[in-house]
Amino acid sequence: MKHWTENDFQNWLYGLKEEDQHVAECADCRAEMERLQVERRRVTEEPEVSPDFLAAQRRAIYQRLEEGPSRNWAAWRWVLSSAMLLAIFFGLAIPRWHKAAPPISDDQLFRDLSAMEQSAEPKAIAPMHNLFEQ
Amino acid sequence: MGAMADRLGANLVALADTRDFGAWMASEQKRIFLLCRRMLQDFEDADAATQDTFLKAWQSLNNPKTKELDDPAKWITRIAINTCLDRLRSKRWHFWRKRPGAEDEAGILGMAASSDPDAEDRLFAKEIDRRLKQAVEKLSLRQRAAFTLRHYEDHSLAEIAEILDLDVGTVKAHLFRATEKLREELHDLYFHRGRK
Repeated sequence: MKHWTENDFQNWLYGLKEEDQHVAECADCRAEMERLQVERRRVTEEPEVSPDFLAAQRRAIYQRLEEGPSRNWAAWRWVLSSAMLLAIFFGLAIPRWHKAAPPISDDQLFRDLSAMEQSAEPKAIAPMHNLFEQ
Repeated sequence: MGAMADRLGANLVALADTRDFGAWMASEQKRIFLLCRRMLQDFEDADAATQDTFLKAWQSLNNPKTKELDDPAKWITRIAINTCLDRLRSKRWHFWRKRPGAEDEAGILGMAASSDPDAEDRLFAKEIDRRLKQAVEKLSLRQRAAFTLRHYEDHSLAEIAEILDLDVGTVKAHLFRATEKLREELHDLYFHRGRK
């Protein structure tokens, strides 16, 4: 039977490959498995953490516990940010919607201008004429 | 433990089981801090995440709806992982943040005395570890969580599934993709000396 490859060993180490009949019987492969486990333990050895740092961290935790139920600043930050974005959006968008004039073509514009030019009296007089019509 | 319990503030002593909580926290604190640091790859974030983790645990323990805990170690690990995942998700928006240099951590973290007398080997392992940490940042959040729990904490796939609230098949898929992305670094880590 063939020996396990490096790929096989790596997959086994990370739980992606089950032990099979071969490794159960092969002393070389079993020795390699043990070596790899020792190697992983060696490289993942926990670093020392300063006791002073851990004590300060506990004090910070107690301090926050004393302050009572935590104010969820992260959530509030999101709420405030969203509210500000909405305010900015409506502040900019709504006046534009109100001011938006219906589009007018160039032809229409020239017709209106020439009509105004040919008219003897200003357009604003028209409502006054209506007052005297019977 | 006694010294730790003495540090409890007068207000906290009034709370039921505070001393038990303090002793338990002290026993889990270093592991949770290192787990957060490995997940977040940032010292200050890991400190804040550790604090958040124990605060959430305390609040949960004082919630009458909380069921009895079968395995407190696994439970606090799950809270820590979820806290880290939340931080990593929000950190995506903090691209302008300056990462603290390694020298900032030097006074607090020191490598444990290695049993390996070969200085060159230690140096090599340290270099690979640095490369591995960089490569871990390429992983998706779930891949990173699954890999961290397997590589550093040696949890079984079933335990990882329980902690991450996923099924074993999904965890296996995340781990497979993670090890594929880290294949070069892991190969150098385990096989640099060749098979004996």
